[in-house]
Amino acid sequence: MSGRLGEDFVRFDRVALTFPGGSGRSPVEVIRKLNLGVRAGEFVAVVGPSGCGKSTLLSLLAGYLTPSAGRVLFRGKSISGPGRERMMVFQHPALFPWLTTEENVAYGLKLKANRNGGRNIKETVNAMLQLVQLDGFARHYPSDLSGGMRQRLEIARALAVDPEVLLMDEPLAALDALTRRTMQREVLHIWEKTRKTILFVTHDIDEAVIMADRIVVMAQRPTFVLEIEEVRLGRPRLREDPEVGKIARRLSSLLE
Amino acid sequence: MNGAALRSSAVRLAGPLTVLATWELLARFGLINTLLLPPPSKAFADLMVLVSSGYLWKALYASLFRVVCGFAFAVTVGVILGMAMARIRPINDFFDPLVELLRPISALALFPLAILWFGIGDGSKIFVIAFAASFPVILNTFAGARSIDTNLIRASRSLGATEFEIFRGVVLPASLPYIFTGVRLACGVSLIVIIAAEMIGATVGMGYMVLEAQQTFRTERVFAGIFVIGLIGFATDLGFRRLRRWLLPWYRETES
Repeated sequence: MSGRLGEDFVRFDRVALTFPGGSGRSPVEVIRKLNLGVRAGEFVAVVGPSGCGKSTLLSLLAGYLTPSAGRVLFRGKSISGPGRERMMVFQHPALFPWLTTEENVAYGLKLKANRNGGRNIKETVNAMLQLVQLDGFARHYPSDLSGGMRQRLEIARALAVDPEVLLMDEPLAALDALTRRTMQREVLHIWEKTRKTILFVTHDIDEAVIMADRIVVMAQRPTFVLEIEEVRLGRPRLREDPEVGKIARRLSSLLE
Repeated sequence: MNGAALRSSAVRLAGPLTVLATWELLARFGLINTLLLPPPSKAFADLMVLVSSGYLWKALYASLFRVVCGFAFAVTVGVILGMAMARIRPINDFFDPLVELLRPISALALFPLAILWFGIGDGSKIFVIAFAASFPVILNTFAGARSIDTNLIRASRSLGATEFEIFRGVVLPASLPYIFTGVRLACGVSLIVIIAAEMIGATVGMGYMVLEAQQTFRTERVFAGIFVIGLIGFATDLGFRRLRRWLLPWYRETES
Protein backbone atom coordinates (compact mmCIF):
# COMPACT_ATOMS: atom_id res chain seq x y z
CA MET A 1 0.00 0.00 0.00
CA SER A 2 2.78 2.49 0.83
CA GLY A 3 6.36 2.44 -0.39
CA ARG A 4 9.24 1.06 1.60
CA LEU A 5 9.78 3.36 4.57
CA GLY A 6 13.22 4.55 3.57
CA GLU A 7 12.19 5.64 0.10
CA ASP A 8 9.33 7.88 1.00
CA PHE A 9 9.76 11.57 0.33
CA VAL A 10 6.57 12.34 2.15
CA ARG A 11 5.02 10.05 4.67
CA PHE A 12 1.90 10.07 6.76
CA ASP A 13 2.69 7.64 9.57
CA ARG A 14 -0.38 6.47 11.51
CA VAL A 15 -1.78 9.99 11.39
CA ALA A 16 -5.05 10.76 13.11
CA LEU A 17 -6.76 14.10 13.54
CA THR A 18 -9.64 15.11 15.74
CA PHE A 19 -10.76 18.71 15.93
CA PRO A 20 -11.42 19.53 19.59
CA GLY A 21 -14.92 20.65 20.45
CA GLY A 22 -15.52 24.30 21.04
CA SER A 23 -18.24 26.13 22.93
CA GLY A 24 -21.02 23.58 22.90
CA ARG A 25 -19.64 21.77 19.87
CA SER A 26 -18.58 18.17 20.16
CA PRO A 27 -15.15 17.10 18.88
CA VAL A 28 -14.97 16.04 15.23
CA GLU A 29 -12.86 13.06 14.22
CA VAL A 30 -11.69 13.91 10.74
CA ILE A 31 -8.93 11.41 10.13
CA ARG A 32 -9.12 8.05 11.77
CA LYS A 33 -5.92 6.49 10.47
CA LEU A 34 -3.77 7.63 7.62
CA ASN A 35 -0.79 5.70 6.34
CA LEU A 36 0.49 7.01 3.08
CA GLY A 37 3.85 7.36 1.40
CA VAL A 38 4.68 9.54 -1.58
CA ARG A 39 7.82 9.16 -3.67
CA ALA A 40 9.84 12.10 -4.91
CA GLY A 41 8.66 13.44 -8.25
CA GLU A 42 5.36 11.56 -8.07
CA PHE A 43 2.03 13.02 -9.08
CA VAL A 44 -0.45 11.74 -6.54
CA ALA A 45 -4.14 12.52 -6.73
CA VAL A 46 -6.34 12.30 -3.66
CA VAL A 47 -10.04 11.68 -4.22
CA GLY A 48 -12.93 11.04 -1.89
CA PRO A 49 -16.41 12.19 -0.98
CA SER A 50 -17.02 15.83 -0.12
CA GLY A 51 -15.97 16.78 3.37
CA CYS A 52 -14.08 13.57 4.00
CA GLY A 53 -10.89 15.34 4.98
CA LYS A 54 -8.88 15.51 1.75
CA SER A 55 -8.05 19.16 2.30
CA THR A 56 -7.17 18.42 5.91
CA LEU A 57 -4.60 15.96 4.65
CA LEU A 58 -2.95 18.72 2.66
CA SER A 59 -3.14 21.17 5.56
CA LEU A 60 -1.32 18.64 7.71
CA LEU A 61 1.48 18.32 5.20
CA ALA A 62 1.58 22.08 4.72
CA GLY A 63 2.07 22.45 8.43
CA TYR A 64 -1.10 24.46 9.06
CA LEU A 65 -2.47 21.72 11.31
CA THR A 66 -0.86 19.28 13.72
CA PRO A 67 -1.99 15.66 13.93
CA SER A 68 -3.63 14.39 17.09
CA ALA A 69 -1.66 11.18 16.68
CA GLY A 70 1.06 9.90 14.41
CA ARG A 71 3.64 11.84 12.46
CA VAL A 72 3.79 13.71 9.20
CA LEU A 73 7.25 13.18 7.75
CA PHE A 74 9.07 15.04 5.04
CA ARG A 75 12.39 13.59 3.97
CA GLY A 76 12.21 11.33 6.98
CA LYS A 77 11.81 14.11 9.54
CA SER A 78 8.69 15.27 11.32
CA ILE A 79 7.53 18.62 10.00
CA SER A 80 7.19 21.46 12.46
CA GLY A 81 5.09 24.05 10.70
CA PRO A 82 4.78 25.70 7.30
CA GLY A 83 7.80 25.89 5.07
CA ARG A 84 8.64 26.73 1.50
CA GLU A 85 9.57 23.14 0.69
CA ARG A 86 5.87 22.30 0.94
CA MET A 87 3.97 25.03 -0.86
CA MET A 88 0.20 25.07 -0.98
CA VAL A 89 -1.91 26.17 -3.92
CA PHE A 90 -5.35 27.03 -2.57
CA GLN A 91 -8.70 26.38 -4.19
CA HIS A 92 -9.59 30.04 -3.98
CA PRO A 93 -6.29 31.75 -4.75
CA ALA A 94 -4.81 33.50 -1.76
CA LEU A 95 -3.04 36.13 -3.80
CA PHE A 96 -2.04 39.49 -2.35
CA PRO A 97 -4.52 41.88 -3.96
CA TRP A 98 -2.38 44.95 -3.32
CA LEU A 99 0.53 43.54 -5.29
CA THR A 100 0.76 43.24 -9.05
CA THR A 101 1.24 39.90 -10.75
CA GLU A 102 5.01 40.15 -10.80
CA GLU A 103 5.12 41.52 -7.24
CA ASN A 104 3.09 38.55 -6.06
CA VAL A 105 5.59 36.17 -7.61
CA ALA A 106 8.49 38.15 -6.20
CA TYR A 107 7.00 38.31 -2.69
CA GLY A 108 8.50 35.03 -1.49
CA LEU A 109 11.88 35.82 -3.00
CA LYS A 110 12.11 39.14 -1.17
CA LEU A 111 11.57 37.66 2.29
CA LYS A 112 14.50 37.61 4.65
CA ALA A 113 14.43 33.83 4.84
CA ASN A 114 14.91 33.46 1.10
CA ARG A 115 17.25 36.34 0.41
CA ASN A 116 20.44 34.33 0.40
CA GLY A 117 19.41 32.00 -2.38
CA GLY A 118 21.77 33.77 -4.74
CA ARG A 119 19.04 33.85 -7.31
CA ASN A 120 18.41 36.95 -9.33
CA ILE A 121 14.90 37.95 -8.35
CA LYS A 122 13.98 39.57 -11.63
CA GLU A 123 15.14 36.59 -13.66
CA THR A 124 13.30 34.11 -11.48
CA VAL A 125 10.11 36.15 -11.64
CA ASN A 126 10.28 36.37 -15.42
CA ALA A 127 11.00 32.66 -15.72
CA MET A 128 8.01 31.83 -13.53
CA LEU A 129 5.67 34.13 -15.42
CA GLN A 130 6.77 32.59 -18.69
CA LEU A 131 6.24 29.10 -17.32
CA VAL A 132 2.61 29.84 -16.48
CA GLN A 133 2.15 32.08 -19.50
CA LEU A 134 1.37 35.24 -17.63
CA ASP A 135 4.35 37.28 -18.84
CA GLY A 136 2.07 39.72 -20.63
CA PHE A 137 0.25 40.55 -17.42
CA ALA A 138 3.15 41.32 -15.12
CA ARG A 139 1.86 44.76 -14.13
CA HIS A 140 -1.77 43.77 -13.71
CA TYR A 141 -3.43 43.36 -10.35
CA PRO A 142 -5.02 40.02 -9.44
CA SER A 143 -8.44 41.63 -9.56
CA ASP A 144 -7.86 42.23 -13.27
CA LEU A 145 -7.19 38.57 -13.96
CA SER A 146 -9.64 35.79 -14.75
CA GLY A 147 -10.09 32.76 -12.49
CA GLY A 148 -7.76 30.57 -14.52
CA MET A 149 -5.10 33.27 -14.63
CA ARG A 150 -5.26 33.78 -10.91
CA GLN A 151 -4.79 30.07 -10.38
CA ARG A 152 -1.75 30.16 -12.67
CA LEU A 153 -0.37 33.13 -10.76
CA GLU A 154 -0.78 31.27 -7.50
CA ILE A 155 1.17 28.36 -8.98
CA ALA A 156 3.88 30.73 -10.18
CA ARG A 157 4.20 32.32 -6.76
CA ALA A 158 4.49 28.91 -5.14
CA LEU A 159 7.08 27.68 -7.64
CA ALA A 160 9.18 30.83 -7.34
CA VAL A 161 10.55 29.74 -3.97
CA ASP A 162 11.53 26.38 -5.45
CA PRO A 163 9.47 24.08 -3.25
CA GLU A 164 9.97 20.33 -3.29
CA VAL A 165 6.31 19.47 -2.86
CA LEU A 166 3.33 21.23 -4.38
CA LEU A 167 0.09 20.79 -2.48
CA MET A 168 -2.87 21.54 -4.68
CA ASP A 169 -6.24 21.74 -3.00
CA GLU A 170 -8.90 21.31 -5.68
CA PRO A 171 -7.16 24.07 -7.64
CA LEU A 172 -9.33 23.69 -10.70
CA ALA A 173 -12.69 23.28 -8.95
CA ALA A 174 -13.66 26.92 -9.24
CA LEU A 175 -13.02 27.08 -12.96
CA ASP A 176 -15.40 26.55 -15.85
CA ALA A 177 -15.18 23.28 -17.77
CA LEU A 178 -13.18 24.66 -20.69
CA THR A 179 -10.63 26.51 -18.57
CA ARG A 180 -10.39 23.44 -16.42
CA ARG A 181 -9.33 21.24 -19.36
CA THR A 182 -6.70 23.78 -20.36
CA MET A 183 -5.43 24.08 -16.83
CA GLN A 184 -5.15 20.31 -16.45
CA ARG A 185 -2.81 20.28 -19.43
CA GLU A 186 -0.91 23.25 -18.01
CA VAL A 187 -0.44 21.69 -14.60
CA LEU A 188 0.87 18.52 -16.22
CA HIS A 189 3.15 20.60 -18.42
CA ILE A 190 4.53 22.39 -15.37
CA TRP A 191 4.98 19.07 -13.58
CA GLU A 192 6.83 17.57 -16.50
CA LYS A 193 9.12 20.57 -16.72
CA THR A 194 9.87 20.95 -13.02
CA ARG A 195 9.40 17.37 -11.78
CA LYS A 196 8.13 18.52 -8.40
CA THR A 197 6.27 16.11 -6.16
CA ILE A 198 2.60 16.97 -6.44
CA LEU A 199 -0.27 16.07 -4.14
CA PHE A 200 -3.44 16.98 -5.99
CA VAL A 201 -6.80 16.89 -4.26
CA THR A 202 -9.82 16.70 -6.51
CA HIS A 203 -13.38 15.49 -6.39
CA ASP A 204 -13.32 14.84 -10.12
CA ILE A 205 -12.27 11.22 -10.63
CA ASP A 206 -11.79 11.63 -14.37
CA GLU A 207 -9.41 14.46 -13.64
CA ALA A 208 -7.47 12.26 -11.22
CA VAL A 209 -7.13 9.45 -13.75
CA ILE A 210 -5.98 11.85 -16.47
CA MET A 211 -3.31 13.48 -14.35
CA ALA A 212 -1.93 11.19 -11.67
CA ASP A 213 0.67 8.44 -11.32
CA ARG A 214 -1.21 7.16 -8.32
CA ILE A 215 -4.68 7.83 -7.00
CA VAL A 216 -5.42 7.65 -3.30
CA VAL A 217 -9.08 6.98 -2.59
CA MET A 218 -10.19 8.24 0.81
CA ALA A 219 -13.21 7.01 2.75
CA GLN A 220 -15.98 9.15 4.19
CA ARG A 221 -15.21 10.97 7.38
CA PRO A 222 -13.63 9.81 9.72
CA THR A 223 -11.35 9.06 6.85
CA PHE A 224 -8.70 6.52 6.06
CA VAL A 225 -7.21 5.21 2.85
CA LEU A 226 -9.70 2.98 1.04
CA GLU A 227 -7.48 2.09 -1.85
CA ILE A 228 -4.48 3.24 -3.83
CA GLU A 229 -4.54 2.80 -7.56
CA GLU A 230 -1.42 2.93 -9.72
CA VAL A 231 -2.22 4.44 -13.08
CA ARG A 232 0.16 2.93 -15.59
CA LEU A 233 -1.25 4.53 -18.70
CA GLY A 234 1.06 6.69 -20.81
CA ARG A 235 0.52 10.42 -21.06
CA PRO A 236 -1.17 12.39 -22.48
CA ARG A 237 -4.34 10.58 -21.49
CA LEU A 238 -7.63 11.39 -23.11
CA ARG A 239 -10.94 11.47 -21.34
CA GLU A 240 -12.44 9.49 -24.21
CA ASP A 241 -9.90 6.66 -23.88
CA PRO A 242 -11.73 3.52 -22.74
CA GLU A 243 -8.87 2.63 -20.39
CA VAL A 244 -9.33 5.92 -18.60
CA GLY A 245 -13.05 5.31 -18.33
CA LYS A 246 -12.52 1.82 -16.94
CA ILE A 247 -10.33 3.01 -14.12
CA ALA A 248 -12.57 5.97 -13.39
CA ARG A 249 -15.67 3.77 -13.16
CA ARG A 250 -14.00 1.33 -10.86
CA LEU A 251 -12.86 4.06 -8.51
CA SER A 252 -16.28 5.73 -8.59
CA SER A 253 -17.92 2.50 -7.53
CA LEU A 254 -15.63 2.40 -4.52
CA LEU A 255 -17.07 5.68 -3.40
CA GLU A 256 -20.68 4.65 -3.51
CA MET B 1 -14.39 67.51 -23.99
CA ASN B 2 -16.63 65.97 -26.60
CA GLY B 3 -20.18 67.08 -27.34
CA ALA B 4 -21.92 64.66 -25.03
CA ALA B 5 -19.69 65.47 -22.07
CA LEU B 6 -20.10 69.18 -22.72
CA ARG B 7 -23.88 68.83 -22.78
CA SER B 8 -23.82 66.77 -19.61
CA SER B 9 -21.71 69.36 -17.80
CA ALA B 10 -24.01 72.13 -18.94
CA VAL B 11 -27.08 70.36 -17.61
CA ARG B 12 -25.31 69.61 -14.36
CA LEU B 13 -24.57 73.28 -13.85
CA ALA B 14 -28.08 74.27 -14.74
CA GLY B 15 -29.55 73.02 -11.47
CA PRO B 16 -27.57 75.10 -9.01
CA LEU B 17 -27.57 78.08 -11.37
CA THR B 18 -31.34 77.98 -11.67
CA VAL B 19 -31.73 77.88 -7.92
CA LEU B 20 -29.36 80.80 -7.45
CA ALA B 21 -30.95 82.86 -10.18
CA THR B 22 -34.47 82.28 -8.88
CA TRP B 23 -33.38 83.10 -5.36
CA GLU B 24 -31.70 86.30 -6.52
CA LEU B 25 -34.72 87.43 -8.47
CA LEU B 26 -37.16 86.65 -5.68
CA ALA B 27 -35.05 88.74 -3.33
CA ARG B 28 -34.68 91.62 -5.79
CA PHE B 29 -38.40 91.80 -6.34
CA GLY B 30 -39.05 91.81 -2.61
CA LEU B 31 -40.95 88.56 -2.72
CA ILE B 32 -39.00 87.06 0.17
CA ASN B 33 -37.95 88.41 3.52
CA THR B 34 -34.37 89.50 2.87
CA LEU B 35 -33.62 89.52 6.55
CA LEU B 36 -34.16 85.78 6.63
CA LEU B 37 -33.04 85.06 3.10
CA PRO B 38 -30.72 87.65 1.60
CA PRO B 39 -29.95 87.42 -2.12
CA PRO B 40 -26.84 85.42 -3.06
CA SER B 41 -25.24 88.57 -4.43
CA LYS B 42 -25.21 90.10 -0.96
CA ALA B 43 -23.78 86.95 0.55
CA PHE B 44 -21.10 86.88 -2.10
CA ALA B 45 -20.28 90.53 -1.51
CA ASP B 46 -19.89 89.86 2.20
CA LEU B 47 -17.66 86.93 1.38
CA MET B 48 -15.38 89.33 -0.54
CA VAL B 49 -15.29 91.63 2.49
CA LEU B 50 -14.38 88.72 4.72
CA VAL B 51 -11.61 87.70 2.36
CA SER B 52 -10.10 91.12 1.86
CA SER B 53 -10.27 92.10 5.52
CA GLY B 54 -8.48 88.92 6.49
CA TYR B 55 -11.22 87.96 8.93
CA LEU B 56 -12.10 84.84 7.01
CA TRP B 57 -8.54 83.53 7.11
CA LYS B 58 -8.31 84.08 10.84
CA ALA B 59 -11.53 82.18 11.44
CA LEU B 60 -10.55 79.43 9.02
CA TYR B 61 -7.13 79.02 10.54
CA ALA B 62 -8.55 78.79 14.06
CA SER B 63 -11.04 76.09 13.11
CA LEU B 64 -8.71 74.08 10.92
CA PHE B 65 -5.95 74.16 13.49
CA ARG B 66 -8.26 72.56 16.04
CA VAL B 67 -9.54 70.02 13.52
CA VAL B 68 -6.07 68.98 12.43
CA CYS B 69 -4.88 68.52 16.02
CA GLY B 70 -7.90 66.51 17.08
CA PHE B 71 -7.96 64.50 13.88
CA ALA B 72 -4.25 63.68 14.02
CA PHE B 73 -4.64 62.43 17.57
CA ALA B 74 -7.68 60.35 16.64
CA VAL B 75 -5.99 58.73 13.65
CA THR B 76 -2.76 57.92 15.49
CA VAL B 77 -4.36 56.55 18.63
CA GLY B 78 -7.20 54.93 16.70
CA VAL B 79 -5.03 52.93 14.31
CA ILE B 80 -2.64 51.80 17.01
CA LEU B 81 -5.39 50.85 19.43
CA GLY B 82 -7.55 49.24 16.75
CA MET B 83 -4.62 47.12 15.52
CA ALA B 84 -3.53 46.16 19.01
CA MET B 85 -7.04 45.16 19.96
CA ALA B 86 -7.42 43.07 16.82
CA ARG B 87 -4.13 41.22 17.24
CA ILE B 88 -3.59 40.86 20.99
CA ARG B 89 -6.33 39.17 22.95
CA PRO B 90 -5.69 40.67 26.42
CA ILE B 91 -5.62 44.18 24.96
CA ASN B 92 -8.98 43.59 23.35
CA ASP B 93 -10.38 42.18 26.59
CA PHE B 94 -9.21 45.25 28.46
CA PHE B 95 -10.18 48.01 26.07
CA ASP B 96 -13.32 46.69 24.44
CA PRO B 97 -15.62 47.41 27.41
CA LEU B 98 -14.22 50.93 27.65
CA VAL B 99 -14.73 51.54 23.95
CA GLU B 100 -18.27 50.20 24.03
CA LEU B 101 -19.17 52.32 27.06
CA LEU B 102 -17.71 55.56 25.74
CA ARG B 103 -18.73 55.25 22.12
CA PRO B 104 -22.44 56.06 22.56
CA ILE B 105 -21.61 59.29 24.37
CA SER B 106 -22.19 62.24 22.07
CA ALA B 107 -18.96 64.24 21.91
CA LEU B 108 -20.82 67.50 22.28
CA ALA B 109 -22.34 66.31 25.54
CA LEU B 110 -18.78 66.29 26.80
CA PHE B 111 -18.09 69.82 25.60
CA PRO B 112 -19.15 71.66 28.80
CA LEU B 113 -16.90 69.31 30.74
CA ALA B 114 -14.09 70.02 28.31
CA ILE B 115 -14.54 73.74 28.82
CA LEU B 116 -14.29 73.24 32.60
CA TRP B 117 -11.11 71.28 32.14
CA PHE B 118 -9.45 73.16 29.27
CA GLY B 119 -11.09 76.55 29.09
CA ILE B 120 -12.76 78.17 26.14
CA GLY B 121 -9.73 78.11 23.83
CA ASP B 122 -8.34 75.46 21.52
CA GLY B 123 -7.97 72.74 24.14
CA SER B 124 -11.61 72.03 24.72
CA LYS B 125 -12.33 71.86 20.98
CA ILE B 126 -9.40 69.56 20.27
CA PHE B 127 -10.53 67.33 23.09
CA VAL B 128 -14.05 66.75 21.79
CA ILE B 129 -12.88 66.37 18.20
CA ALA B 130 -10.30 63.80 19.23
CA PHE B 131 -12.92 61.98 21.27
CA ALA B 132 -15.50 61.87 18.51
CA ALA B 133 -13.11 61.05 15.69
CA SER B 134 -11.29 58.24 17.47
CA PHE B 135 -14.13 55.78 17.39
CA PRO B 136 -14.60 55.40 13.64
CA VAL B 137 -10.84 54.85 13.32
CA ILE B 138 -10.65 52.30 16.13
CA LEU B 139 -13.65 50.33 14.94
CA ASN B 140 -12.73 50.28 11.26
CA THR B 141 -9.08 49.43 11.91
CA PHE B 142 -10.20 46.60 14.14
CA ALA B 143 -12.62 45.31 11.52
CA GLY B 144 -9.95 45.48 8.86
CA ALA B 145 -7.35 43.60 10.83
CA ARG B 146 -9.88 40.95 11.75
CA SER B 147 -11.20 40.39 8.27
CA ILE B 148 -7.97 39.21 6.70
CA ASP B 149 -8.28 35.95 4.79
CA THR B 150 -6.55 33.23 6.85
CA ASN B 151 -5.10 31.72 3.72
CA LEU B 152 -3.20 34.93 3.00
CA ILE B 153 -1.45 34.55 6.33
CA ARG B 154 -0.91 30.84 5.73
CA ALA B 155 0.52 31.48 2.28
CA SER B 156 2.99 34.03 3.58
CA ARG B 157 4.00 31.70 6.42
CA SER B 158 4.69 28.92 3.95
CA LEU B 159 6.70 31.29 1.78
CA GLY B 160 8.87 31.93 4.82
CA ALA B 161 7.73 35.25 6.25
CA THR B 162 8.56 36.15 9.85
CA GLU B 163 5.85 37.46 12.17
CA PHE B 164 7.04 41.00 11.56
CA GLU B 165 7.09 40.49 7.81
CA ILE B 166 3.56 39.17 8.02
CA PHE B 167 2.43 42.21 9.97
CA ARG B 168 4.10 44.70 7.69
CA GLY B 169 3.56 42.89 4.41
CA VAL B 170 0.14 41.34 4.86
CA VAL B 171 -1.80 42.66 7.85
CA LEU B 172 -1.16 46.34 7.20
CA PRO B 173 -1.86 46.41 3.47
CA ALA B 174 -4.89 44.18 3.88
CA SER B 175 -6.29 46.47 6.58
CA LEU B 176 -5.56 49.67 4.72
CA PRO B 177 -8.91 49.96 2.88
CA TYR B 178 -10.73 49.67 6.19
CA ILE B 179 -8.38 52.07 7.95
CA PHE B 180 -8.91 54.51 5.12
CA THR B 181 -12.68 54.32 5.54
CA GLY B 182 -12.28 54.96 9.26
CA VAL B 183 -10.04 57.96 8.63
CA ARG B 184 -12.47 59.42 6.11
CA LEU B 185 -15.34 59.07 8.58
CA ALA B 186 -13.19 60.61 11.30
CA CYS B 187 -12.57 63.64 9.10
CA GLY B 188 -16.27 64.11 8.47
CA VAL B 189 -17.02 63.83 12.16
CA SER B 190 -14.27 66.32 13.01
CA LEU B 191 -15.69 68.94 10.67
CA ILE B 192 -19.16 68.61 12.12
CA VAL B 193 -17.99 68.70 15.71
CA ILE B 194 -15.78 71.78 15.31
CA ILE B 195 -18.56 73.92 13.91
CA ALA B 196 -20.97 72.86 16.63
CA ALA B 197 -18.43 73.35 19.40
CA GLU B 198 -17.51 76.81 18.16
CA MET B 199 -21.16 77.77 18.26
CA ILE B 200 -21.47 76.70 21.87
CA GLY B 201 -18.33 78.10 23.38
CA ALA B 202 -15.68 79.94 21.41
CA THR B 203 -14.33 83.37 20.66
CA VAL B 204 -12.94 82.69 17.24
CA GLY B 205 -13.47 80.25 14.40
CA MET B 206 -15.85 79.52 11.51
CA GLY B 207 -18.62 78.29 13.79
CA TYR B 208 -18.24 81.32 15.99
CA MET B 209 -18.30 83.59 12.95
CA VAL B 210 -21.60 82.13 11.77
CA LEU B 211 -23.12 82.33 15.26
CA GLU B 212 -22.03 85.93 15.73
CA ALA B 213 -23.47 86.83 12.34
CA GLN B 214 -26.79 85.29 13.35
CA GLN B 215 -26.83 87.11 16.65
CA THR B 216 -26.18 90.45 14.94
CA PHE B 217 -28.70 89.74 12.19
CA ARG B 218 -26.06 89.78 9.44
CA THR B 219 -27.74 86.96 7.62
CA GLU B 220 -25.64 87.44 4.48
CA ARG B 221 -22.61 86.58 6.60
CA VAL B 222 -24.39 83.48 7.87
CA PHE B 223 -24.76 82.33 4.29
CA ALA B 224 -21.20 83.27 3.40
CA GLY B 225 -20.02 81.19 6.34
CA ILE B 226 -22.22 78.24 5.40
CA PHE B 227 -20.87 78.41 1.88
CA VAL B 228 -17.23 78.30 3.01
CA ILE B 229 -17.95 75.44 5.42
CA GLY B 230 -19.61 73.52 2.62
CA LEU B 231 -16.65 74.21 0.38
CA ILE B 232 -14.27 72.75 2.96
CA GLY B 233 -16.37 69.61 3.18
CA PHE B 234 -16.43 69.31 -0.60
CA ALA B 235 -12.69 69.85 -0.86
CA THR B 236 -11.83 67.26 1.78
CA ASP B 237 -14.14 64.77 0.11
CA LEU B 238 -12.40 65.34 -3.20
CA GLY B 239 -9.05 65.07 -1.49
CA PHE B 240 -9.96 61.72 0.01
CA ARG B 241 -11.15 60.34 -3.30
CA ARG B 242 -7.86 61.32 -4.93
CA LEU B 243 -5.91 59.87 -2.04
CA ARG B 244 -7.83 56.65 -2.30
CA ARG B 245 -7.02 56.26 -5.98
CA TRP B 246 -3.35 56.79 -5.20
CA LEU B 247 -3.15 54.62 -2.06
CA LEU B 248 -5.48 51.84 -3.05
CA PRO B 249 -5.35 51.46 -6.81
CA TRP B 250 -5.96 47.76 -6.44
CA TYR B 251 -9.02 47.83 -4.28
CA ARG B 252 -12.39 46.84 -5.67
CA GLU B 253 -15.30 47.22 -3.29
CA THR B 254 -16.96 44.02 -4.45
CA GLU B 255 -14.89 40.93 -5.11
CA SER B 256 -15.74 39.25 -8.40
